[in-house]
Amino acid sequence: MESIVSEAQRLGVKSVAAGYTRSHDQMVRFSNNSITVVNSWQTETPTVYLASNGRRAACRMEDQRHEEIVKVVKELVDSMKVTPRGEVDFELPKGPFNYQEIDGIYDKSLAGAETELIDAAETAINSAKKEGAQRVSGVVISGSWEHHVLTSAGAEGSGKGTGIEITVRAFADDDATGQGISIATNLNRFDPAGAGKTAGTIARKARGATPGKPGKYRVVFGPSIFANFIDHAADSASAYSVDFGLSFFQDSLGKRVASEKLTLYDNGRLPNGPGSIAIDDEGYPTGETALITNGTLKNFLHTSYTAAKYNAQLTGSAQFEAGVAGMLPAARNLIIKPGGEKVEDLFNKTQTGLYITNNWYTRFQNYRTGDFSTICRDGVFEIKNGKLGNPVKGLRVSDNMVRILKSIEALSKERQWIRWWEVPTPTLAPYMLANDVGITTVSK
Amino acid sequence: MEEEARLAIEQALKSGAQYAEARVQRDLAHTFTLKNGTAEPIMTTRKLGIGIRVIVDGSMGFASTNSLESAKIRSSSETAVSTAKAAARLVSTPIRLAPEKSFEDKWEVRMKIDLQEVSIEEKFEALHSIEKALTPELVGVSLPSRILLLDEELTWKFYANSEGSRIRGFVPRISLYFILTAEEKGKGTVQRTLHEAQTRGWEAVKDWNPPVLAAKEAKMLGKILREGVSPPRGEIDLVLGPEVTGIICHESCGHPQEADRILGREGAQAGESYIKRNMLGHRVGSEHVTIIDDPTLPNSYGFYKYDDEGVKARPRILIENGIITDLLHNRETASEFNVSSNASSRASAYDREPLVRMGNTYMKPEDHELNELLEDVKHGVYMKSFMEWNIDDRRYNQRYVGLEAYMVQDGMVGAPVRNPILEITTPALYGSVDAVGKEMEFSGATCGKGDPMQGAPVWTGGPPIRVRKIHLGG
Repeated sequence: MESIVSEAQRLGVKSVAAGYTRSHDQMVRFSNNSITVVNSWQTETPTVYLASNGRRAACRMEDQRHEEIVKVVKELVDSMKVTPRGEVDFELPKGPFNYQEIDGIYDKSLAGAETELIDAAETAINSAKKEGAQRVSGVVISGSWEHHVLTSAGAEGSGKGTGIEITVRAFADDDATGQGISIATNLNRFDPAGAGKTAGTIARKARGATPGKPGKYRVVFGPSIFANFIDHAADSASAYSVDFGLSFFQDSLGKRVASEKLTLYDNGRLPNGPGSIAIDDEGYPTGETALITNGTLKNFLHTSYTAAKYNAQLTGSAQFEAGVAGMLPAARNLIIKPGGEKVEDLFNKTQTGLYITNNWYTRFQNYRTGDFSTICRDGVFEIKNGKLGNPVKGLRVSDNMVRILKSIEALSKERQWIRWWEVPTPTLAPYMLANDVGITTVSK
Repeated sequence: MEEEARLAIEQALKSGAQYAEARVQRDLAHTFTLKNGTAEPIMTTRKLGIGIRVIVDGSMGFASTNSLESAKIRSSSETAVSTAKAAARLVSTPIRLAPEKSFEDKWEVRMKIDLQEVSIEEKFEALHSIEKALTPELVGVSLPSRILLLDEELTWKFYANSEGSRIRGFVPRISLYFILTAEEKGKGTVQRTLHEAQTRGWEAVKDWNPPVLAAKEAKMLGKILREGVSPPRGEIDLVLGPEVTGIICHESCGHPQEADRILGREGAQAGESYIKRNMLGHRVGSEHVTIIDDPTLPNSYGFYKYDDEGVKARPRILIENGIITDLLHNRETASEFNVSSNASSRASAYDREPLVRMGNTYMKPEDHELNELLEDVKHGVYMKSFMEWNIDDRRYNQRYVGLEAYMVQDGMVGAPVRNPILEITTPALYGSVDAVGKEMEFSGATCGKGDPMQGAPVWTGGPPIRVRKIHLGG
């Protein structure tokens, strides 16, 4: 990293952030109660982010040859010379900083775990079958990582962490399915049996589902689908989305964007947090940022670039992302403040409506307005007279994201950590009751 | 690359694998972005590494490293073997590969204008020329957000397996991607996402004529905002443009006919399929519906000559005259179905296991002009392009929300229709197709599947088609 920073500075670059990640991950995939593949990855990834006089360039290198890394720095500097000037000249956060260690994010017994993953898959399969599943599919992944950041502004720090996660999908019938999740930073908090049990129970109860009917419903959303909504809300709360004109929170800072029941924050240094790390990729210490407080949009997440452009405070949210812009502001652990009610109380409050456990394939008509639809996946149940009723199928939530957030009536006390295919950012989500939710079905 | 692959296979076999393959892959990608007329950072991605896949006693292991040092390669091979061995106790159906011919070959897609020879200035100039064409005076509508991207990716790959295959390939890919948001006072906003993509050099960008393409889309957005009317209620006929035909073929034919989904291998993520093992020969559409997946289409975004198991690519007829005739197979699923692989195994990078994927999926054209499809519609809608879409994980219940769409009355195209929604099952949709046009068009797309997620470059396409007796929903 020193060579990246010094070479870029030698070539006249004003601001340089170099990153280096070493990771070792293993994944067991299973379907039909049988392991289909074991994946193992060992990766070392240097990253470079350069900014000078309003111009920026970035590179992610999954290529360990040192001569290539130095060559890339020169190429990036050359490319900046002919890049059209950007809107904002900014500086990286001036260090040094003190990065306090975060409790509970590293478990040395997880580094190189192999047998544990296979055992976890077996435990989850058996647990789901015990509840009535015929077939069980899923994925268990564990990993360890070390991350280092060095900047030309005097920031230097590093962190390490571990994680283990399981997503279990139980099939009690072809279209009677349920999902369970457990994610943790250490083995003690990891619960594959619980994930299997949840998946198996939902699948069993979803047997014999009949086609649901379109309309406006009072809906209790389970933690998985609510976490998916919140993940999209956090994307919209990234100043990058706002800057690109692709946020449904555009021009909404300080305004009501959700019901007063919703308080949402991001905490990059949460103890035991699956996404926790003490340092962001521009060298700034991570922390807690209130995004929505009692329904009001309080802050956007920022990098140095967006903070300079919008005259805002840094939030320690810079993350190097391969793709469009190199350095993006993004959430690390999304926390939804719990409500005061039990899940059963939410059903009772609903009286007549639906309980949707999970979803997939959320797509927007228009990122700016928040008009979207998403497919209900796994168990969906009627709520009648305040109690859970028969399973239904073939439904789609077709609505507007801000309208749903504004219609939140209640949140449960119980919360669950969610991260899976449809929820990339770890999210601690309760059950949520919303009103007048648009539900559609096929015409034939 | 050859030496590293040889070493990996040798070590895997020595460690106890009955089958081993290695893929050394180098990717170089650049993204150039113009956001509302100003440059975003040039983003470069460089990858170089090796992925090793083995079968040990019917159990599969995959390991990768982005170090090409001999010790790291040997260690990765040993890991692939040892993890496969450890998992064998939980493998109830032993994994086997269908026998295939081995090849020794070198292939490449040649660029007329090498992407690496085109200057950065010229690439930004291409984006600036679009920006200039989008001024409100020229397109007649305000565009508060204009995101324009050029994406280029060069991939060098060497594949070898323990059965004797040795294949070296090179593919350049270029994409133009834009998101335009149009706004009209009192009428709200509407957004258009468009993706042109080919396996070609810079000559592709010249052929697309991006300023004309973008301006045409922007004018269309303005017209929708100013003149758009609500979709009709009740039973109507629907003519779908090539872009909509393409996404339908991809989502509700290509995906459900991936044999790994049918076997349940993607059950926890991308899902399974409404198609069961015994449905070959089953009717799922009208006699006008023939859908093909063909990775060998010249210049196509999903082009490849050999798949990532070293099997030579060929077209696959998935549905012929409404009947399911083939599935997409890799060697593992082919073995399960007791057939040969049809070269559908693709991996997005050195560190991803190959999965069953599409290449370029399209509906076979027939002989109607667009006007002929429209003139027979008494009361209906012509949905030329789409915005929001999704489909359930069995690929049965799908929805497409029209973007550029028009009323059709007595065969005449009328006012724009705002947000017509087609929400329908797969057999009902394919069963209602009564005529297929002849003018083909393709769109670029990045198809997502697998865990970790793998994005595969594909084309989706086809001609315009007519669908009878539909209720628009939402």
